[in-house]
Amino acid sequence: MTIERRTILKSLAAAPAALAMPAYLRQASAQGGTLDIAAVYSLSGTFANVGTLLNSGSKWAIEKYDTVLGKKLNYVLIDDRGDAGEAVRRVQEVMTQRGIRHILGCTNSAIALAVQKEVYARGGIYVQMAGADESTGKDCNKSNFRWPVASYSAVNATVRPLIEKFPDAKKWYTITGQYVFGDSLLTNVKDVLKEKGLQHVGNSYHSLSDREYSGYIATALAAQPDVLAICNFGNQTLDVVRQAISYGMKRNTKILAVWSTGLDQFQALGPENCDGIYFGCNFWHGVDSPGGRVVAEVVKAKTGDVPNYLHACGYAVAQVLLEGIKKAGTDDVPAVIKALEGMTYEGPTGTETVRPEDHQVIKDYYLMLGKAKSAMKDKNDFADVVAATKAFLPPEKTGCKMS
Amino acid sequence: MSMQLLLFQVLNGLGIGMIYFLLSVGLTLIFGLMRFVNFAHGAFYLVAAYIAFALTRWTGSIWLSLVIAPLAVAALAMVVERVLLRHTYRMPHEAQILITFAIALLMQEIVILIFGPLGQNVPVPSALSGIVFLGPYVYPAYRLFVVGVAVLVAIALWLVVEKTKLGSVLRAGSESAEMVGLLGINVDRVFMATFALGGALAGLAGVLFAPIRGVEPFMSVEALGIAFVVIVVGGLGTLSGALVGGLLIGLVQSIMSTLWPEGAQLMIYAAMALVILARPAGLLGRF
Amino acid sequence: MASSTPQAWRFPDLTTAIVVVILAVMPFLVPTTLASQVAIFATATLSVTLLLGSVGLLSFGQGLYLGFGAYLTGLLLRDAGLGLLPTLVLATTAGTVLAGLLGILMVRRQGVYFVMLTLAFAQMGYFAMLSLKDITGGENGLTDLPRTMSLAGLPIGSPLSFYLLTAGAFLLAFLAVQRLNASPFGSVLTAIRENEGRSEAMGYDVKRYKIAAVAIAGGIAGLAGGLHAAFLGFVPPNDIELEISQRILVMAIIGGVGSPAGALVGSVFYTLVSEALSELWARWMALIALLLIAIVLYLPGGLWSIGRRLAERFGGRSADA
Repeated sequence: MTIERRTILKSLAAAPAALAMPAYLRQASAQGGTLDIAAVYSLSGTFANVGTLLNSGSKWAIEKYDTVLGKKLNYVLIDDRGDAGEAVRRVQEVMTQRGIRHILGCTNSAIALAVQKEVYARGGIYVQMAGADESTGKDCNKSNFRWPVASYSAVNATVRPLIEKFPDAKKWYTITGQYVFGDSLLTNVKDVLKEKGLQHVGNSYHSLSDREYSGYIATALAAQPDVLAICNFGNQTLDVVRQAISYGMKRNTKILAVWSTGLDQFQALGPENCDGIYFGCNFWHGVDSPGGRVVAEVVKAKTGDVPNYLHACGYAVAQVLLEGIKKAGTDDVPAVIKALEGMTYEGPTGTETVRPEDHQVIKDYYLMLGKAKSAMKDKNDFADVVAATKAFLPPEKTGCKMS
Repeated sequence: MSMQLLLFQVLNGLGIGMIYFLLSVGLTLIFGLMRFVNFAHGAFYLVAAYIAFALTRWTGSIWLSLVIAPLAVAALAMVVERVLLRHTYRMPHEAQILITFAIALLMQEIVILIFGPLGQNVPVPSALSGIVFLGPYVYPAYRLFVVGVAVLVAIALWLVVEKTKLGSVLRAGSESAEMVGLLGINVDRVFMATFALGGALAGLAGVLFAPIRGVEPFMSVEALGIAFVVIVVGGLGTLSGALVGGLLIGLVQSIMSTLWPEGAQLMIYAAMALVILARPAGLLGRF
Repeated sequence: MASSTPQAWRFPDLTTAIVVVILAVMPFLVPTTLASQVAIFATATLSVTLLLGSVGLLSFGQGLYLGFGAYLTGLLLRDAGLGLLPTLVLATTAGTVLAGLLGILMVRRQGVYFVMLTLAFAQMGYFAMLSLKDITGGENGLTDLPRTMSLAGLPIGSPLSFYLLTAGAFLLAFLAVQRLNASPFGSVLTAIRENEGRSEAMGYDVKRYKIAAVAIAGGIAGLAGGLHAAFLGFVPPNDIELEISQRILVMAIIGGVGSPAGALVGSVFYTLVSEALSELWARWMALIALLLIAIVLYLPGGLWSIGRRLAERFGGRSADA
């Protein structure tokens, strides 16, 4: 609340100037000793829930680094208001009219895929956190780097450990979002099941705006699966988990949400809906690593609490870019791209590497198991890490032809 | 699909349908009497859900908010009616749609301002957290409770509509809006009471839904969409229309999820368009 | 609201001149890409303004035609290798045809039911886009549109060339609407808006007039969608979502539907204010909502009517049109 109020007061004070010209075009950085880093996030619209926290993460990373190569960093927020079209237009604007070349962040895949082409066409560099495989797959390009794992990795880092843990769980059922991302997850799940000789007893598709899943869950229950794998993202994951539990599915079936964002979703579910559920996620604050400790300190200073995935992800994309600039010894884009390819650094999940072939960051993806409220050591101790795996599609199979 | 599964989908669909009835009935009540299209219906639902969230966090259970949230939202609806909506009764429908749309937007932003943009959990009360066995089927105890409440609300509203003075006004209103004025009653007070009742019903739905869905600032969009489809399909402005519309949409959604899930959403809106075109007074309505 | 007598429509008039001046100075005052955005959304808003202002039809679903135009443009430019001009003509035509066909159904109902039908069709369009994800790219949008195009031999690629294109397109659509309002056809639409029953009694085929208006508005929205796609080099899935329908409706109301110039005023105001405010306060939509409430209650003619009132008070001559 206090943060909001302060923002309003500041806003009121700054309003006259801003109305004359958008803030990101004000030449605050005219003097040579600064480096502008633009970040594309949705602070309003239906993706504001994700965008707001990602933005914090990136902003705090920039504040933490403060300077790089002696240049003062200047964080330029581009609020796309949840509209991918607006994101593209404003990236165009800062690149052509302000000469910014270093861009971060996205709130959803459509935004990332469009912006990565825009940045490439205009000779910039872009580090982002899209979920879509296409980002470092068929749509990959020289300018573009992605921190979170692709659907192949998410599936292989969760489904395989689960199979190892429960060799008797032969029958799998999937509930899948009928959109590109959901389908990518589903295809990968099917591949693993086929390879392992397990039975895929059925799949239910739901649409991007479904909120009521009891019909799908009833169908799943009737198939009597040993495992229910949920292949979607965002609030839909929460709703499926919540409703599957309420229909008693936990009694005879293991439930796996292949793609989750971890802590913030655990908080939204509450411990009673996390207990005994398996989740896949890209970051967990309980994993100790040098890079993770840095993120934890930064977030602790700002919120007094532990970092969640969104904070860490926002932080990580900024970190990747800045480490690349440091290593290159210049902010010149081609040099930074070259420096990033193959770079190893201490990221939020431990030692992370940028794969040169497709610009995918190679990092752990976690399989987590939610625990009962009574077993939680503190208010954020929702789950334990069951497995941490770096499972990546070989570059030649991603469909990426680097240009 | 096996017979057994189909039967379960039917039962489950009826359950969803009763919940949808609860979600929609306030909207249809207001339309029936006042010919007023309340795009802020979903926002009332949202506000109540967040009140439930706050109270549950504070008291540890949802029971208190079951009473307080509908009352608070009823009060909010009365204020909104008195301060803003009253001025739009003389204006065309379009103005009413636009102003309630704006109010909904405003409330959504205020909710984000107070509670933040992330979704939150409202735990199911522990007494109802289990499942019940209905023959070979399992059903969440809490949903059964919500369906029970919806049935009680339906009965209570039926009694109000059929047996009370307000009810006779409501019935007259759904026949013809002009007739209400001819009944020699204080239209202003009736309108305010109706708005409060509509708000309270949206609020009750919001509280009851919170443990099923959790709360998040954009939950009102889904609720409003469903409520419109339900009352349009059943027939705008009638109690029985909301009931039949709710049950029908619940059934369609549940059964479609087995037969042709990809098309469920498309079908629902297609059904809505079809009903408006073929039977604008709804499946039950007279025309 | 505009007067209903045909004599009151002067064309081209002071309004035309004001619109031309706004379009001419805009690229000097705001960043060029922002100016293009304003022009594109002004075109989209014009379709709402035409329906609501001239015929009294409230559409919550103009995003359907905008999205349709955008996706069609994306596919034609990318896969069919068609030029920009024929593509935009086709997008406009497609918007007209789709709106005309749906219009045949929609005009059978009035008031709330008409609004609900626009909503239902718009939602169906959105779900259709999602289920045709192999063609539309689903939630990822349609990418890889060509970055350089030419229009009648002139290269279109720089921000300024896009502004000239989008502003030109808006001006064309604006003049067409103004011309239409001033025509006998326009006076029938006005009569329908003011009293549908009477127009019917006077022997006008009200439904056909409405279908024509819905189709024209659909064409304008389709054009706006086509421009948006070409401008971004990308079709964002947002273009066919309900939110875009709502956004252009809000722009129309803020600008005022009494005159086609209101579409430009609404787009300028909303786009610039949201741009400035969103930098400062992420909850800026609350202010837009408050403004919307105020306008519905106290300023039904929108912002444009302020100018008109001032003109009447000081100039005597009305800028009405």
